[in-house]
Amino acid sequence: MSASPDRILTTHVGSLVRPDDLLEFIRKQQDGEPYDEAAYEACLKRSVADVVKKQAEVGIDIVSDGEYGKTISWSRYILDRLSGFEERYDATIGFRSAVAGKDRRDFAEFYEEYEATHGFVGMGKTFKTGSWYVVGPIKYTGQALIQRDIADVKQAVGDTKVVDAFLPLVAPASVVPQRTDEYYKSEEEALFAIADALREEYKAVVDAGLIAQIDDAFLASVYDVMVPPKTIADYRKWAELRIEALNHALKGIPPERTRYHLCWGSWNGPHTNDVPMKDIVDLMLRVNVGGYAIEMANPRHEHEWRVWETAKLPEGRKLVPGLVSHATNIVEHPELVAERIVRLAKLVGRENVIASTDCGFAQGPFARRVHPQIMWAKLGALAEGARIATKQLWN
Amino acid sequence: MARSADRILTTHVGSLVRPPQLVEYIEAIEKGLKVDMAAFDALLQQSVNDVVKRQREAGIDVVSDGEYGKFRSWSFYVLDRLAGIEEREVVAPVGAGKDRSKFPEFYAEYFPTQRLPKRGTVVTVGPVKYKGQAALKKDIEIFKNALKGVDVEGFLPVVAPASAAPFFLNEYYKNEEEALFGFAEALREEYKTIVDSGLYVQVDDAFLPYMYDVAFGGSDLAGFRKWAEVRVNALNHALEGLPEEKVRYHICWGSFNTPHTTDVALKDIVDLVLKVKAGAYCIEMGNPRHEHEWRVWETVKLPAGKKLVPGVISHSTNVVEHPELVAERLVRVARLVGRENVMGGTDCGFAQTPLVRRVHPSIMWAKLESLAEGARLASQELWGRKAA
Repeated sequence: MSASPDRILTTHVGSLVRPDDLLEFIRKQQDGEPYDEAAYEACLKRSVADVVKKQAEVGIDIVSDGEYGKTISWSRYILDRLSGFEERYDATIGFRSAVAGKDRRDFAEFYEEYEATHGFVGMGKTFKTGSWYVVGPIKYTGQALIQRDIADVKQAVGDTKVVDAFLPLVAPASVVPQRTDEYYKSEEEALFAIADALREEYKAVVDAGLIAQIDDAFLASVYDVMVPPKTIADYRKWAELRIEALNHALKGIPPERTRYHLCWGSWNGPHTNDVPMKDIVDLMLRVNVGGYAIEMANPRHEHEWRVWETAKLPEGRKLVPGLVSHATNIVEHPELVAERIVRLAKLVGRENVIASTDCGFAQGPFARRVHPQIMWAKLGALAEGARIATKQLWN
Repeated sequence: MARSADRILTTHVGSLVRPPQLVEYIEAIEKGLKVDMAAFDALLQQSVNDVVKRQREAGIDVVSDGEYGKFRSWSFYVLDRLAGIEEREVVAPVGAGKDRSKFPEFYAEYFPTQRLPKRGTVVTVGPVKYKGQAALKKDIEIFKNALKGVDVEGFLPVVAPASAAPFFLNEYYKNEEEALFGFAEALREEYKTIVDSGLYVQVDDAFLPYMYDVAFGGSDLAGFRKWAEVRVNALNHALEGLPEEKVRYHICWGSFNTPHTTDVALKDIVDLVLKVKAGAYCIEMGNPRHEHEWRVWETVKLPAGKKLVPGVISHSTNVVEHPELVAERLVRVARLVGRENVMGGTDCGFAQTPLVRRVHPSIMWAKLESLAEGARLASQELWGRKAA
C-alpha cells in the first residue's frame, strides 16, 4: 500500500453505480443482442475516466475503475476470463444455494419481498443464476480484458491528484463456490488450479503499478450457509483451505501492493447469522496482503472495532475499515466517520488506518445499493470524516 | 420510567407494523366504504392484544398499542379529532426541503414508493376544540384491555402541537402564537385523558426538528429556533399540570430513509428539547446521521429526575443491530447521564401510518429482540454480572 502518510487516506471497496449508457451496452451483451464493440469500449473508457475524476473530486485518495469493466458481478466476471467452466441452466445446484443459509430461512418472507423488487440478493432483476460446472483444466484467458481494465484506469488517473489506484479482483474462495466438478480429482486440486489462474490476474495488476484488491465476500458469508447444521470448526476448515489457495495465488506478489476485502454479503438483509469477526480474524490475517478492508459501518458489524483491542495488526499491514454503509440511504455524519476512524487509530496506529466503505455500491452492473447521488454524498462524508480525524490525530 | 431501576429497561417509539387484515379495514374506512364496525373493533382489540403480548415476548418493558387505532398517520390522525379547523386543498407542496433539493433524482425515485398519507391545508376557522373523546376513549380501553395480565407498562403516543399542524393558515386567532396555544388547549385534553387513565403519554414531535430542513432551508438556525420556541411553549402549555414522570417527549428528524444531510444538529436544539415538561426524552441516536450525537451529553446536563431514551435501533436499514452494538450505545450514554436515567429505545416508529412499513415486520421484531438483548448486556456491564 502507499507509504506512511501524514493524514488519514481514503478509499472504498471498488464497485460504483454504472452510468446508463454503459448499462445499455452490458444489457445487450447479457441478452446476446448485437452491439457495436468499438462504441462499447469507447463508452467504457469514457465512463472510467469520469468515475475516476469524480472520485478525485469528492476526496477519494485511492480510487478504482468502479468495476465498470466487469460483467455479471464482482465475482462471476471471472468466468469470462477462465477456461474450464461451463454454465448450465439445469436447476441442479446453482448460485442460489451459495447464499441459502440460516438468515434466509429465518426471514423467508422478507427475502421473498426483497428479491421481488431488488432481484436475487439485490443484484437487479435481470440477474441470472445458472449452475456452474468444471469441465476441463482451469486456465486464465482474460489477458486482454485485464490489460484493457488496467489501461482504462491508468489513463483515467492521468493527471488527477489521486494517491493511488486499485482494481478489485476475485479471490479463489469466491469463484462460484457452489459448482459441480466433472474434471478435477478433488476440491483442493480445483481450488489450487483456480488460484494458479488467478495469480496471473493479480500479477498483471500489480506489475502495472496498481494495487490489487482481492474480494472475498464468500469467505465470510458461507458460514451462514454451513452453520448450522455444521459447526464453526467445519467452517473454519473450509475457510482455511481457501486461504491457503489464496496465499498460493499471491505467491511472489509484493504484499504492500495488495489488499484483501472480506464482507458478509452486501444485500440489505438482517445478517443475524453472520460469523463474528473475532472468530475469523486470525484466518483473515493469514492472508499475505498489505491491507484488510472489512465492514465496520453497518449495525451488525459496527461493534467489531473492539476486535482490535486484542487482535494485533501485523507490522506493515493496514486496516481499511468500512465507515460508511450501503445498507441505508442516510448519509453518515462526517463526525461519526471521524469517531470511527479515531477509535481504531488509537488501537492500531493512525498511520495504519485507511478510511473506506463497507462494500461496493454496485456488486454487479445492475445492482445498485443506493441511489448514485447518495453514493457520492457518502463518499464525500467519508473524505470529510477523514479530514476531521486527521486533525484530531495529528494536531 | 417507574419500574425497577437495577437494569436498563426497554421501550420503543410507538408505531408498529399493522397486521394485513387490519390494514384492509383501515384502508376501506379511510376510503369511506361501508365497513362492519363491530367486526373492525373486535379485530382491533385482538390485534392490540397480540401486539402487546408480542412486545412482551420480545423483551420490551414499556409497550405501546402499536398505534393500531390511529387513522391517516401518527400526526394527521388528530385532525379528525379537532373542531375549529378545516382541511382545504393543498395549495403548496410540503416536505420539499433542502435535503430534497440536494438529492432531487433520489427523492423523485423514492417518494413514489412511499404510501404517504393525505392531508389538506389546515386552516383555523374557529376556536380549536378537542372532539376526539370517543376515539381516544376507545384507544385507551382497547390498550388497557390488552395490558391486563401482561407484565409490562403501557404508553400511548400522541401528537405535539407543532406536529399537529406544522403548516396552517389562521383565519380565526389574532396571531399564530394564539392559534398554537389554541391547538395546545385542545390537545391537553388528549394528553390528560391518557395520563388520568394511568398510562404514560408520549408526545411525538418529529416536525419540530424536521421543519429546519423543510421551512428554514437547513441553514436559518435563528429563524428556526424562534419558530420552534413558540411551539415548545405551546406544548408546555398543553402539558401544564400533568405529572412530568407520566410524560415522554419524542423528537426525530422525519423517519424517511433519505440522506438527512441538512438535519438540524441536536446540539443546536437540545436546550429547547429539555425545556419540554416531560419526564423522558426519546431521541434518535441509532442512525448514522445522529449516532455521533451521544457526545452531546458530554456537555449537556440531563436535568435531575429525567430519563434519556436514546434510539439505539434504526428503521432505516434491514440489517439487524448486533446486541453488542446496542449495549455499547447504551453504556456510553449511561456513563454520561447515569445508568438509572437511561432506557433503551428505537429511533422512531416502524409504521408512521397504517400503510407505511419501514422494514418487514419480521425484521422489526428481530430488531426489538436485539434491543432487549442489548439492554441485558448493558445492564450486566453497568450493574455487574449478576444483574438482569
